[in-house]
Amino acid sequence: MLRLTGVELRRLAARRLTVVGVLGVLVITALLLVVVWNDARPLSAEEQRSAQLQYEAAHAYWVENGEEDRRRCEADWDKQPDPKPAKEELCNFREPTVDDFGKPRVVFAETTPDRLLGASYLLVFAAFLIGASFVGAEFSTGAIGNWLTFEPRRLRVYGSKLLAAALGFVPVAGVVLSILLLGTYLIIGRLGDTSGTTAEVWGDLTAIGGRAVLLVAIGAALGGVVGLLLRHTAAAIGVAMGYLVLIEGVFAGFLNSAQPWLVKLNFDAFVRHDTTYYVNECGGGDGGNYVCNSIEKTLSFEHGAWYLGIVAVVLVLLGGAVFHRRDVNS
Amino acid sequence: MPELAICTRGLRKTYRTRRGRRIVAVQGLDLDVPVGGVHGFLGPNGSGKTTSIRMLLGLVRADAGSMTVFGRPVPVRLPEVVGRIGAIVESPKFFPAFSGRKNLELLAEAIGAPRSRVGEVLEQTSLGDRGRDRFRTYSLGMKQRLAIAATLLKEPDLLIFDEPTNGLDPAGIREIRETMRGLGDQGRTVLVSSHILAEVEQVADTVSIIGHGRLLASGSVAEVIGGGTAATVKVAVDNHEAAARILTAAGMTVRPDGRYLLVDGAEHPADVTRRLAHQELYVSELIPVRAGLESVFLELTAEEGL
Ligand SMILES: Nc1ncnc2c1ncn2[C@@H]1O[C@H](COP(=O)(O)OP(=O)(O)OP(=O)(O)O)[C@@H](O)[C@H]1O
Ligand SMILES: [Mg+2]
Repeated sequence: MLRLTGVELRRLAARRLTVVGVLGVLVITALLLVVVWNDARPLSAEEQRSAQLQYEAAHAYWVENGEEDRRRCEADWDKQPDPKPAKEELCNFREPTVDDFGKPRVVFAETTPDRLLGASYLLVFAAFLIGASFVGAEFSTGAIGNWLTFEPRRLRVYGSKLLAAALGFVPVAGVVLSILLLGTYLIIGRLGDTSGTTAEVWGDLTAIGGRAVLLVAIGAALGGVVGLLLRHTAAAIGVAMGYLVLIEGVFAGFLNSAQPWLVKLNFDAFVRHDTTYYVNECGGGDGGNYVCNSIEKTLSFEHGAWYLGIVAVVLVLLGGAVFHRRDVNS
Repeated sequence: MPELAICTRGLRKTYRTRRGRRIVAVQGLDLDVPVGGVHGFLGPNGSGKTTSIRMLLGLVRADAGSMTVFGRPVPVRLPEVVGRIGAIVESPKFFPAFSGRKNLELLAEAIGAPRSRVGEVLEQTSLGDRGRDRFRTYSLGMKQRLAIAATLLKEPDLLIFDEPTNGLDPAGIREIRETMRGLGDQGRTVLVSSHILAEVEQVADTVSIIGHGRLLASGSVAEVIGGGTAATVKVAVDNHEAAARILTAAGMTVRPDGRYLLVDGAEHPADVTRRLAHQELYVSELIPVRAGLESVFLELTAEEGL
C-alpha cells in the first residue's frame, strides 16, 4: 500500500491538470495578496482631499441641523410600531469625525481569519477538481483495467489513490496558506496595524490554517471518490457544481434554517472554530401583524467537525463498496 | 492429469443492460488450458471470450462457477498469482497523456520491478525510440506493442492476449504471432483469443472453441480438426449426374462446384475413386480439401444453432 501510494503520488505530480491547477492556485494567491495591499494601502492625496471635503460638509450639516434632527426623531419615536427600537439608538446623531470619512486602518488580527477561510474555499475547490480528474480519468480512459491486472487488490488500489490525492495536497495547501499568511502580515505590517498580533493570535491563525489544510486533503480524496463513482472528470465536476449552486445556494437561500445541515456552514464552523449565521424567524407580532426577524445563531466547531467527518467517512465507504464490486468493462 | 495453467468449471456471467434486459455472456464454461505452449481460445463475436478473460483476471465478477490459475482459486487468491500473469484485454489502455515509458515506469514501480526493466522491454518490443512520446500519439500497432511490453515487465508464466491482432497490418500480425510462438516455445503458457481461425491455427498447439458462452470442443489442433469431420474431396469426373447418384447412394453428400463435384462424408478419399470405378466412371482429378478449423468451427457452431 505504501509503494502503491508512492506510485500514485508520482502519477498525480506528473499530470498536467495538477501542474496547471497548482500554478493557477498560486496565481490566485498572488491576486489575494494584491487585494490585501489594496485594502490596507493609505488613501492617495486626491482621495484624502475628497474625504476631507466630505467630512467638512457633513460636519457643517451636523452643526446646523443635528440638534433639530434629534428632537424631531425623539418626537416621532412614540409613533414607532412595537417592538420599538431603543430611543438612544434610533436618535443618536453624534458628531461626525474625520475618521468616519477616511479609511479605517486594517488590523491584521481581525481580518486575517476570513482571508484564510476564503483561500481555503479556493484550495478545496481546486483539490476536489484535481482529485476527481485524477481518479475519474482512469475510468474514462480504461487505464484502470490494465492497472488492476498488475494489482488486483481493489481496496488497496482504492486506498492508495485517495491517500495519494490527500497527501499530495497537504504541501500545496500548506505552502499556499503560509504564503498568504506571511504575505498578509508583511503587507499589513507596513501599511496597517499588526500591533495586536500576540502569540495567541498567531496560534489561532495557525490552527485555522491547519484545519484548512486538513479539509483540503479531505476535499482531494472526496474528489477522487466522486470521480470514481461517476467515472468521468466532467461528470464529477458537473455534479459538484450543481450541488453547490442548487443546494448550498438556492435551497439554503429559501430555507436558511437548513444551513446547519449543509456543507458550507459546517466548513466555516470547522475552519473558523464556531461560526454565526442568520435565520429568518417569522410570526405574529404583538399587534397581530406578521413580522420577520433575522436572528443570529452560532454553529459550533464540534458540529462542523462531526458533520464533515461523517460525510467524508460515508462517501469514502460508499466509493470503496462500489469499487470493490464494480465490473471493470471498458 | 497434466498440470493446468487455467481451469474453469461451470463459469457463468449474466450482464444486465441499462434497460434491464439480461444478456447471458458466459453460461457454464469449462475451460482447461494446459501449462506450456500456445492455446487458442476461439469463438464467434459475442461468444463470451472477453468476458471469460475478464473474470479470470478479477475484472468482472462471475455469477457462478469456479476458476483456478496455476492451481490457485481465483479471484480469491489472484494476488498470489497475478505476478505470473501478463494480460492484454481488448484494446490496450494506458494513460493517454503520459509517454509509453512513463506508463511502464508507473507499472514497474507498482509491482516493484527494477526501473531498468522498462528500457529492456521497450527495446524488446522495438519501441525504444518512441518511448518518450505520448501514448495518445501511438499507432495501433505501437499501442499493441506497448501492451506486450507491459506484460513482459513481470516476466510472466501465463500470457493472456485477447484478440491481439485486431486492426493490425499483415506485418504486425506476423510479428505478434511470432512473439506468441516464441513465448510458447520458451515454455510459457499463452492463451490467445480470436475469431480469426487461420490465425490461431498457425500458432496454437491446443485450442478450445466456444459458442454462446459454452465449450464446444477442445484438444490439440490436430485432434479438433481430425476428429470433427470426415474428409472432403473435390472430384473431376465426366458424368456428374451418374457420379452424384452413386456417391449419394453410398451415404455421401455431393454438391456441384464448377467442373468439380464436392464430396463430403467419405471415410477416405480412396472410397470415392473405388465406388466410381466400380461403375466404370473414371476420376480424372481428385483433390482432398483440407478440413481446416474453419469448417470444424462452422460445423460446431451450426450444430449449436448459432
Ligand atoms: N458490459 C457489458 N454489458 C452488457 N453486455 C455485455 C457487456 N460486455 C459484454 N456484453 C455482452 O456479453 C456477450 C459476450 O461478450 P464478449 O465481449 O465476452 O464476447 P467476445 O467473445 O469477446 O466477442 P468479440 O469476439 O466480439 O470480442 C455479448 O453478447 C455482449 O453483448
Ligand atoms: Mg472480445
